[in-house]
Amino acid sequence: MTQGVLLFCFDTPEVKYHRVLERCVELIKKNLKLEITVITNIETFKRMKPMGMINYKLITNETNNKLLGKPWYQTERYMAYDLSPYDTTLLLDIDYFCYTDNLLELLKTDQDFLIHDKAYDIVLGKEGLRFERDSMIPILWATVIVFKKTNYCKSIFDMVKYVKQYWPYFCELYKLGFKNFRNDYAFSIAINHVNGYRMPTFLPGRLPTLTRSAEVLSFTDNGLIYRYQNKIGQLENQDVHVLNKELVNV
Amino acid sequence: MDIRDLKKQADLSYDISVAKSNALEKALSRQQFAYEGHLFMANAETICLVKTLKELQQSPLYILDVNQNPVEIKDPDEFLDMLVKRNQETLNNYNNLYKELQKKI
Repeated sequence: MTQGVLLFCFDTPEVKYHRVLERCVELIKKNLKLEITVITNIETFKRMKPMGMINYKLITNETNNKLLGKPWYQTERYMAYDLSPYDTTLLLDIDYFCYTDNLLELLKTDQDFLIHDKAYDIVLGKEGLRFERDSMIPILWATVIVFKKTNYCKSIFDMVKYVKQYWPYFCELYKLGFKNFRNDYAFSIAINHVNGYRMPTFLPGRLPTLTRSAEVLSFTDNGLIYRYQNKIGQLENQDVHVLNKELVNV
Repeated sequence: MDIRDLKKQADLSYDISVAKSNALEKALSRQQFAYEGHLFMANAETICLVKTLKELQQSPLYILDVNQNPVEIKDPDEFLDMLVKRNQETLNNYNNLYKELQKKI
């Protein structure tokens, strides 16, 4: 049974995401020691520095999605099932930094599909970041997903593709306040459908998240230092999902 | 104490409280633990349950994982040993961080 990490990375005109990817890959190699496959486009691939033994799959991505008015290329995640070469895949956002090997435990499970349903706000020190607003279903976090090559998982990814295709309709149906395509919402809808409107299986714990209002000042060997308002904080040996994209400049 | 000192004290208390919460969260995330293809939390509840069941009945034991799936525990001694080790590893780290935070008060 093969296991590996799958990452999607596309530079936008404004953010050099390949620099985030380079840091993410370095940490995966150091702490998870798993095989890595990167899905990217030719333009982004050319900008990446050599990162050792990594598999690359080049695709042509869509460039019409936005976040906060800026280009945001992340609509290809539904392809993860078909593009993954692994029996068990750890699908990660590239802004999730593995400073521990905690995720390895999740690969030892027999569950077909696991995703976070809760996030932990590191800045405020409590559970938070609920984006439901008027949404009729709970919103999940598609930042860390564990999936196996099974019919059940294939149906989830096929459903994400369908949701993406009819995004405005599903936004309206579920009363989502977010009109641009977002994987967190698309997966929430898809899982809800495929699971027969019943709760699926979740990852234990909460997704540790450094919110957009926190600025990463520097990276250390085993963590990072951030500023929030007038306070300086430090994370050590703790996985973290960083939302502030200015980290590409650190 | 004037109001500036009180504000400083309030800021310090807040910072320590957040740092403590983060240290605990770090410990809890480390308590996620796979056994026989199922996920568990190596917390006091799981340890107490397994220890109690082990004392009251012979193996195998049946318990629920974090997603409420039933699991047969064929070797409760081994499982309990792993739970305790993981739990104490995480709480030892938490304790060290907690001591450092206490020094700041």
